[in-house]
Amino acid sequence: MGNKSSLLLREEEIAQIQEETGFTPNQIERLYSRFTSLDKNDCGTLSREDFLRIPELAINPLSERIVQSFFAESHDDRVNFLQFMRVLAHFRPIKKNRENKLNCREEKLRFAFSMYDLDSDGKISRDELLAILHMMVGANISEEQLTSIAERTIIEADTNNDQMISFEEFCRALERTDVEQKMSIRFLN
Amino acid sequence: MTVDGISTYPGLGFGPMGPVEPLPGEPPGTQLRQNQDTTTELPTTEKTKKERTFVIAAFEFHRVETPFLIGLWIFFASLAKIGFHMAPKLSRMLPESCLLVFVGVLIGALLLSTHSVHVQPLTPDTFFLYMLPPIILDAGYFMPNRLFFDHLGTILLFAVVGTVFNTLTIGASLWACGQTGMFGCTTPLLDMLLFGALISAVDPVAVLAVFEEIHVDEVLYIVVFGESLLNDAVTVVLYHMFEAYTEMGPSRLVYTDILAGLASFLVVAVGGTCIGVVWGFATGLVTRFTNEVRVIEPIFIFVMAYLAYLNAEMFHMSGILAITFCGITMKNYVEANISHKSHTTIKYTMKMLSSSSETIIFMFLGVATVNNTHVWNTWFVLLTIVFCSIFRIIGVYIFSAVANKFRLHKLNRVEKFVMSYGGLRGAVAFALVLLIDPTVVNLQPMFVTTTIAVIYFTVFIQGITIKPLVKILNVKTAEKRKPTMNERIHERCMDHLMAGIEDILGKHGNHHMRDKFKRFDNRFIRPFLLRNYQGAEPKILETYSKLAMRDAIEYMQRNASTIGNISGAESMSAIFKNYTNTNFNGSPSFSQIDTSTWNIDMQELEYNPSKKDLTDAKIHHLLAEELCKPFRRHRRLSYSRHAVNERDLGIQVNYKTHMNIRRRVGDRKHHHKRSKRGKQDGKNHVTFPEFQQNGSAKQFTHGKIKYYRLDYIDEVLQEDGEEREVRRDGDDGGITFTAKSPPGYKEVSPTSSHKENSSSLLNQLANLPGFNPLKARIIKQYVKTPEEILPTAVEKSLPWRRDRSTYNFVPNEDILEEDERRLSDDNDNYNMIVAEQARVATPTATETMLPWKREEAEGSGALKQSEFPSWASNKEYLAYNSPSSTFLGLFRRESSSSTQGAAEAVVLSDSEGHRESTSKGEASSKDGGVRQGPSLLSKRSTSLGGPSVLLMEDVAHSDPLGASSRPASIMQGPQRGQCRRGSMMELTGSMSRDAITEEKCCKSLPESERMGVRRLPLGQSLGREPFIRQLTLASSLTTSSSSEDSSDENT
Repeated sequence: MGNKSSLLLREEEIAQIQEETGFTPNQIERLYSRFTSLDKNDCGTLSREDFLRIPELAINPLSERIVQSFFAESHDDRVNFLQFMRVLAHFRPIKKNRENKLNCREEKLRFAFSMYDLDSDGKISRDELLAILHMMVGANISEEQLTSIAERTIIEADTNNDQMISFEEFCRALERTDVEQKMSIRFLN
Repeated sequence: MTVDGISTYPGLGFGPMGPVEPLPGEPPGTQLRQNQDTTTELPTTEKTKKERTFVIAAFEFHRVETPFLIGLWIFFASLAKIGFHMAPKLSRMLPESCLLVFVGVLIGALLLSTHSVHVQPLTPDTFFLYMLPPIILDAGYFMPNRLFFDHLGTILLFAVVGTVFNTLTIGASLWACGQTGMFGCTTPLLDMLLFGALISAVDPVAVLAVFEEIHVDEVLYIVVFGESLLNDAVTVVLYHMFEAYTEMGPSRLVYTDILAGLASFLVVAVGGTCIGVVWGFATGLVTRFTNEVRVIEPIFIFVMAYLAYLNAEMFHMSGILAITFCGITMKNYVEANISHKSHTTIKYTMKMLSSSSETIIFMFLGVATVNNTHVWNTWFVLLTIVFCSIFRIIGVYIFSAVANKFRLHKLNRVEKFVMSYGGLRGAVAFALVLLIDPTVVNLQPMFVTTTIAVIYFTVFIQGITIKPLVKILNVKTAEKRKPTMNERIHERCMDHLMAGIEDILGKHGNHHMRDKFKRFDNRFIRPFLLRNYQGAEPKILETYSKLAMRDAIEYMQRNASTIGNISGAESMSAIFKNYTNTNFNGSPSFSQIDTSTWNIDMQELEYNPSKKDLTDAKIHHLLAEELCKPFRRHRRLSYSRHAVNERDLGIQVNYKTHMNIRRRVGDRKHHHKRSKRGKQDGKNHVTFPEFQQNGSAKQFTHGKIKYYRLDYIDEVLQEDGEEREVRRDGDDGGITFTAKSPPGYKEVSPTSSHKENSSSLLNQLANLPGFNPLKARIIKQYVKTPEEILPTAVEKSLPWRRDRSTYNFVPNEDILEEDERRLSDDNDNYNMIVAEQARVATPTATETMLPWKREEAEGSGALKQSEFPSWASNKEYLAYNSPSSTFLGLFRRESSSSTQGAAEAVVLSDSEGHRESTSKGEASSKDGGVRQGPSLLSKRSTSLGGPSVLLMEDVAHSDPLGASSRPASIMQGPQRGQCRRGSMMELTGSMSRDAITEEKCCKSLPESERMGVRRLPLGQSLGREPFIRQLTLASSLTTSSSSEDSSDENT
């Protein structure tokens, strides 16, 4: 959706984004200005480098996965504004009466799940979990410890005994977690 | 709070207990002086007496009066608390605080009527210096940090703005009402505002007392409770501000004083917080060095927190904020430094102190009510209560509306109601009102009475009704539970994710701040304050070790009961029942560590009994029980002596050791050496029993030091591996392999001279490192034609087995090559079948245990991540999910097919017998038959992977019994043939395989073991015992497999 020449979004673009993601026009404008400020090359799309240029994100242990999640849909390693907004729509708080397919609990969980699912095969394997743990925990914990933690985690969630955590198992493991809260951001108006 | 204490407290300098109350008209403090005088004087008179005569026994109350009274108060208060809990009806209806106040009133009335001691126990000094700190420290130390900081904005809004709002509105309203003259006295505005300041503060003690009982949702709780904690600073400032204004008089009040008040608020709040944080870090630092003097660890937490409190009070800062933040700050660092025992000590001491302080506070509140100095002004009291309630509600609605603008989780109507209803007033207000100098504020006595009335109203009316209201309004109630591993990890991951998203949005929200602090903390603070800096996610580790601990304890508890049962003299069926109960009912956790349970599980998987089989089994079981009684008892004893105790350790070990082994083997050793060792016939596996054993013992005692164990295990592993290899070589040369399996063991391997083409399978299986001939018996039943075998119940029900099936047997063949060479060549045609079968089946024990073998297998690529023995992980799967009942159901459904397979099993067993005879030729044919069964079974189980390991252990356990069970087997002899035909229970005779099956399905480990014993042939008798013992000790598949292996090699 990136409007390559102008910094302003056209009305119909806003309407389309609003339709699809549920953001208000104000929020869309605001996010668009953020988008353009990230877009150093003014090409209307963001590259991985654009993301990683954000200093805090660069030191986020999961930065790679987070950035990758924006590129899940794109084929050419660029993210346009609509894709950008689609990803962010997952983090809209859930409003009771206004159901949106992008920010429901399941979608939030699916997004979290995709953080682990490195090979996007729909299952979290031990290695994938271990990799994420590595990113989060860092180097101070021994490999053995991490491995046993990863295994313990998988065992705990794995109900069909395939040594992987499927999305269903993932949801079940987080049944009692307030995902709606935890994975929501208050977008400024 | 006690800022101006020294000069203004009526109870100036009183002892903690509070002295005799000043008589009306007497200046405050004189009583104390009198008291002190008397206490000091009296001894002197005593002394003069002493000079005259030697007193054998003397009574000297004054000397101990104060501490004695304190002790007495505490004692009675605690006694009252016990009393409430003996009347559950009462305590269900009324909150404890109400009951305590009530008891306090009774005591006060008693004291008043007797005029004996006119006590005013609750002095501001007592309250602020001794009673309040423990409660607040407890609150701060166990404060859910994250929750608190997530809602800090809302909390501050309510605590600061809300309290100011309440103070001003209540004060102004009362003043306005006073203007109408309805109170019958002059009500200066400043006095009213002063009163408003002390009465508007929500009291942490009362809130804690009530909210602890109603268990509301954590968000609600933290908002109300956090407000009550943090409004202290506001209350203190407002109180002193208005007090000072009152003293100055309204005429001299200039606007700079008001500004000074604002500035003072910042100083009091920020200063208190800073003092608390600094002391908190200091505590963390001190505990870093206490590892040599663990016993005094707890004292630092208490003393330093208390010092923080006093320190803040010293500078007229908010002591409550100081100690709260001290607790919040120190917690994370202290917890990482102190020992587990110290942790428990701290926890309990803190709870004890805070709850006894709370008890005493409420009781003293009751006692203080009863005195002669009340000035009751009905209108004033009523209006105060009304205004307090109304403005609380209004304030909550206004400020929650404001807060909701910025909150993700909007406070809904019910929550708002509970928040306003939970605004309880308490002892803080009472202590503050006592601090007012009656000479400056003439209305002080009326204020005191009114404050008491308000406190009673909130504590009684609101305290009693809030519980039913919470139920009626269906307020979300909190569920207390420990986070699971998944929750912990995923929530952390979400935190990072959200922080990342916030960064992308360029928004500095909660996550961003938390992330920033965490980074700072991990980089600069933790390394300084922690003894063992463990990296970025201590919580994940903590959760993990907690869970691991819990597993171990659970296991121990479960097992303890089984041990007791077994060693007792009750019948086997009783044990069986117990086993069933303990293992079966506690299914969620049941199989994780328990090898025996695993055995059962496996058997369950393996056996597919039909209805008829089950009834048969029952009958056989009964018969057998009658037949073998004396032996059984003996067996049982030995079982308990060797197996149970050791197994107990061993099992527990197993669970963790498996992990360690896996890790060890997979990561360290075989990563490097796999290629080298690949062809070494899997000798390494031999080491497993050893190190499991060792590991288990260690593990048991050092639950926490699991990593330390690793090294040890590693050493053992290595040593053992080398040892084994040497022995192996010798083995090939025909040397008896006795080290791990005593010579007697060979006798076990019987000779039945059935030569059939199926023998190759048996041979192969027997040669598997993990193969135990004894166990093979069990397998026999399951050995069917390959086609039948393919979809066993296990495989069907357990997907992972199927997954692995591809890479299954190949490596084993590798191992077995030499054996096959030695043995007859007719194996070949059967080999195919075996391989086929194996492929379908899950990895054998060998494979699972010996990752490097698997690597050569075709499916190894896929396996990469599960290069560790799959059985270990399988085991854990079962341990946690262990849908044993499901398994059971599945197997039952499949039972018919399994029985059909029996015929095949016979064939196989025969073949095995042949093999054994060729190799050994020692045992009788009968024995051979017997042995074949187990061997087959074991093979089968091995091939099935995970649970089978346990199964083997089971058999191993049965071995000891078997030694003693010779007679039984003899008796069963005649029936053997039949049994063989029908099932695996050849020697058991009276007891058919089916019986075992049934029992296994029911998970009666002991039963199955016993069966195993009975099944044992004569030939295996005594020579095996050492070996058996070893097996039992090792109590793991690996053990048995190694010995098995060696014995087979010998043959």
